[in-house]
Amino acid sequence: MDPYLGFCVPGAMGRLFSLTYPTAAVLLAIRAGHRYGFDVMDVTGLPDGTVYPILRRLERRGVLTGAWEDEERARAEQRPPRRYYRLTPLGEESLVEVMDRFPALVRVFEPGAEPA
Amino acid sequence: MRSAPGWDLIRRASALVPKDRRDRWRREWEAETAYAWQCANRGGPASPWKRLSLYLRVMTCVIDALVERKETMTMSGLFNDVRLALRSLLRRPGFTGVAVLTVALGIGANTAVFTLVDGVLLRPLPFEDPDELLSLEHLGRDGQDELPMSAGLYVLYRDQARTLESVALHNQTAGNLMAEGQPERVIGQSVTPSFFRVLGVEAALGRTFTDEEGLPDATPVVILGDGLWRNQFGADPRVIGSSLELSGTSRVVVGVMPPDFGFPDRQPRFWVPLTIDDAQAPLASFFAGGVARIADGQSAAAVDAELQGMMGRLDELFPESPAARFLMDVDIRARIQPLKQALVGDVSTTLWILLGTVGFVLLIACANVANLLLLRAEGRQRELALRVAVGAGRGRVLRSFMSESLVLAGTGALLGLAVAFLAVRVTAAFIPSDLPRMAEIGMDLRVLGFTGSIAGLCAIFFGFFPLLRYGADDLAGQLRDGGGRGATGGRERHRLRNGLVVAQVALALVLLVGSGLMFRSFLALRSVDPGFEKDGVLTARVIVSPGEVPGWEETAAFFRQLRQRLAEQPGVLGAGMVTAIPLGQGFSFGGIALEDHPRGPEELPIFAAQLLAGPGYFEAMGIGVLEGRGFQAGDGADGERVAVISRSFAEQWWPDSSPIGRGVAGGPNSDWYRIVGVVDDIRQQGLSEPVQGTVYLPIVTEGGGQFNVARGLDVVIRTSGDPRAFVPVLRRELQALNPRIPLSNPRTMAEVFDASTARTSFTMGVLGAASGIALLLGLVGIYGVISYVVSQRTREIGVRMALGATAPSVRSMVVRQGLILAAGGVGVGLVAALALSRVMGTLLFGVQATDPVTYGAVAGALVAVATLASWVPALRAAGVDPSQALRAE
Repeated sequence: MDPYLGFCVPGAMGRLFSLTYPTAAVLLAIRAGHRYGFDVMDVTGLPDGTVYPILRRLERRGVLTGAWEDEERARAEQRPPRRYYRLTPLGEESLVEVMDRFPALVRVFEPGAEPA
Repeated sequence: MRSAPGWDLIRRASALVPKDRRDRWRREWEAETAYAWQCANRGGPASPWKRLSLYLRVMTCVIDALVERKETMTMSGLFNDVRLALRSLLRRPGFTGVAVLTVALGIGANTAVFTLVDGVLLRPLPFEDPDELLSLEHLGRDGQDELPMSAGLYVLYRDQARTLESVALHNQTAGNLMAEGQPERVIGQSVTPSFFRVLGVEAALGRTFTDEEGLPDATPVVILGDGLWRNQFGADPRVIGSSLELSGTSRVVVGVMPPDFGFPDRQPRFWVPLTIDDAQAPLASFFAGGVARIADGQSAAAVDAELQGMMGRLDELFPESPAARFLMDVDIRARIQPLKQALVGDVSTTLWILLGTVGFVLLIACANVANLLLLRAEGRQRELALRVAVGAGRGRVLRSFMSESLVLAGTGALLGLAVAFLAVRVTAAFIPSDLPRMAEIGMDLRVLGFTGSIAGLCAIFFGFFPLLRYGADDLAGQLRDGGGRGATGGRERHRLRNGLVVAQVALALVLLVGSGLMFRSFLALRSVDPGFEKDGVLTARVIVSPGEVPGWEETAAFFRQLRQRLAEQPGVLGAGMVTAIPLGQGFSFGGIALEDHPRGPEELPIFAAQLLAGPGYFEAMGIGVLEGRGFQAGDGADGERVAVISRSFAEQWWPDSSPIGRGVAGGPNSDWYRIVGVVDDIRQQGLSEPVQGTVYLPIVTEGGGQFNVARGLDVVIRTSGDPRAFVPVLRRELQALNPRIPLSNPRTMAEVFDASTARTSFTMGVLGAASGIALLLGLVGIYGVISYVVSQRTREIGVRMALGATAPSVRSMVVRQGLILAAGGVGVGLVAALALSRVMGTLLFGVQATDPVTYGAVAGALVAVATLASWVPALRAAGVDPSQALRAE
C-alpha cells in the first residue's frame, strides 16, 4: 500500500499516511494513554511486528512525537528509561478522521466517547 | 537485564538500522524488553510461557529494524528518484512494456552470446599456468599438409629442445568394456606419462602415470575418468589397485581424475599410457596431438626458433633415416601456437562475429528506447516546465530523466538475464558438437558482471539523448519555447530522432546483409554434391580389438561374415565397409608412389588421401563407379592386389589415358597395387573442403606370410526404408557374431551430412534471429517517428487539405518522409556493410562477401519495410478532417 495514497488530513499539507485499521488502533491506543510500544502491542492486539513500524512512520510524519521517560524514575526501578509517544496537534486533528471512519474502534478504547 | 530473552537479538538487529538512528532504536527496544522482563518476574521467576511470549515479541524487532532500514533508503536521494521514476513509468504501461522488452531482448541476446564467448574464448584453460602451454603441430609443403606429432619428433623435442620444459602426446582411443552384461564402446585417450605433468593436473584419487609405465613391456595400467569411476565402480575409493578389463586386456587402475578434467575436450573417460620405444620411434608417422610447457625464462618465439632450427637439421640429427630426408623434402615446419588458440581455432571468428551481431541488436534496441524516451520527454514538456517553474533545479530534472533510464535498463537487464538463461539452454541443443570447450560454458559471476555493465551503458546511452536535448543551460526557456507547435513542428527538433532512426536502419541493414550472406553460404553448402547418395544409408563403427578376436584371419572372417549377414537382411540393398566414411575424420593422408611416375630428385612426394574399403562399399554408399569396377571379395590376396582411385586423382596423373592397370603403392616399400577402377570424387573432409585425390586399397591384404586387416571399420548399409530402423538389426547381427564387440556411433549419412553443415547453419540461425529482431525494431522505429511527426503536423496537414491537397498527395508526402529516412539508413548501412564484409569472409562459402545480389535484396527489403511502416501513419494523415484539425490546438 502506498503511504502517499491515503487520506488527506484536514489542514495539513498534502497526504500524510494511510488510515488503515492498525494505524487507527495505534492512534486511539495512544490517545487512551497507552504510550509505550509494548503497551500499544498489548492493548491493540495487533501482531507485534506491525506496531513499531507504524509508530515510527507516524512519528516521521509528525503525527506522533516520542520522548524519553524521566531517568530518575527508571533508575529507581533499576531499568533503562523507556520511550513514550504522544499525539502532536496534527495527530489530534487527524483523530477526527479516525473517529469518523472507525466508530466501533473508538468504543473499544474509550467506552462512551463520541466524536466531536 | 542481560538475561532477558532476545537481548542479543536486539543488539544484532540494530546493525540493520541506519547509523544515525541505531542508538536510539536499540535503547528503546532494550528499555521495553527490560521493563517487560521485570514485570514478568514480579512475584517469582517468570514461567516458561511468559519467557517464550516475551521472546516472540522481541523477535519482531528484526521486522522493525528492516522496515527502518528500508524507509531510510527509500527516502534518500537516488532511491527516491528511482521510486518516482518507477511510478511514473508504471503510469504508462504501454510505453514501459515496449521499452523494457526491447532492452531485455537486446541485453538477453548479448548476455547469451557473451556466455558462449566467455566460456570458449575468454576464460583461461583450467590447467596450471595455462599461458605457458603450447600446442605442437607441423606443416608440410608450404602449409598444404597439416601434420600433428610423430613419436620420433616427440623423442627429439623431449630430449633436445631446451626451450621446452616438458612435452606430451595425446591420441584418442577407445576401448570395449563390459557394462551390465552389454559390451560398451568407451572413448578414452592414450597419452605419454608426461601428459598430466605438462598440463599440471593431479589425480583426484591415486596417481597419474610414471615414466616407466610408458615403456614397452610395462604392466598395463589405466587411469579412470570421474564418470567411468562412478558408473563402473560405484565411486568406490578403494578402486586403486583393482583391475579393469578393457578391450580384452586386464589393466590395473592407478588413479581417478577429477570430474572436470579433460583435454582437448571432456570426452575421454579413461587414460592409458602411450607406449613409445625411443629406439624405434618412427619419425614420419604423424598420429598424435602434441602439448608442451615452455621452460622457465623462455618464450613461445624462442621455442619456435629452436624447433624450426631442428627441422632444418633433421638430416644431420638422423643421418641414417630416410624419413628425415623425406620430411626435409616436404619442407616440414613446426607450428607453435598457444594452447588455447590451437584449441579454440577458427571458432573465435564465428563467436566474435556473433557477439558483434548481438551488439548491433543492442545498439538498435537502445536507439529505439532513446527515441521513445525523446518522444516521451516532449510529451512531458509542460510537466517539466512546471517543475522548473516551481523551483526544481536543472539537475533535478535531468536526474529524473537519468533515473528513468536506469530503471528501464535495470528492469530490462533482469528480464534479459532470464531471456539469456533460456537462450543458452535452447541454443545448447543447436550448438555444433565440434565447438571446443563446450563443457565449460555456463553463466557465472563474470557473465552477471558483463550484463550489469552493459545495462549501465544502456542506461547512459538512452538517458543521454534527452539530456542532449534538454541539457542546455536555459532549460526553463527551452521548455517554454519547445512546447510551441509551429506550423511545421520545427525541423531542428526532429534531427535527433531522425538521426537515431537512420542509425537503426543502417545497423539493421548490416545485420541483414550478414545473415543474407550466411543464408547464401548455407544454400551453397547444401547444394554441394558430396559425391555419395546420403539418403537411406546407415553407418556405424565396429572395432575389433586383439583382446576379443586375436588373429588376423579371424578378424577378416569376422568382418566378412558380418557383411554377409547384413546383406542378407530383408530391406538391406547393399552393405560394405570402409576405414572412414565421407565427411568424417580418421582417414589417413600420406605419401604414395606411382609405378609410371618415378619421383625425380627435385620432385616433392605425391600425397593422397588413403582409405581401405571392402566389397560393396561404393554401391552401399552410392559412389558412382566411372570406369572399371569396385572392390570384390579376394581383392587383397597375394598377387591380386588391386586399388581403386578417385576421378580427380585419375585426372591429375593420367589426364589423357586410362589409369586401369597402372601400379600404385602406399609408400616407398609397399607392393604395387593394380588400379582396377575409377570412382566419383567425394568430399572426404567436409563439404567446404576441396576434393582430395583419393586412393582406395582393400581392407584385407595377404601374401608373403603376412596377413593384414583393418580392425576398426565403418559399416555402411543401404536400406530400402528408414535407415534408423536398422540400428537394432545391426546390433543384433553383431551380437550374434560376437557378443563382446559393441556397436558405436550409429548414424544415418543424412545426419552426417547435416552435422557437417551444423556450424554454418548455427551461425546462420543466430544471425538470422538477430537480424529479424533488428528488422522488427527498425520497423517500430520508423513507425514511431513517422506517426509522431504526423500527429505533430496534423494542423499543417489540415491547412494543406483545406487549400486543396488530395488524400493521395498527403499520403505520399508522409510515405516520402519515411522513405527519406530509410534511404539515408540504407546508404549509411551499405557503406558500413561493405567496410565490414572482410570480417565475414572466412565464414562464407560459395558467395563473395560483397555479393551484389544479397546487398541489393536486403536494401530493397528494407525500403519495402520502411514504406510499410510509414503507410499506417500516412493513412491516418490522409484521413485528417481539415475543419477539426484547424480547430484543435
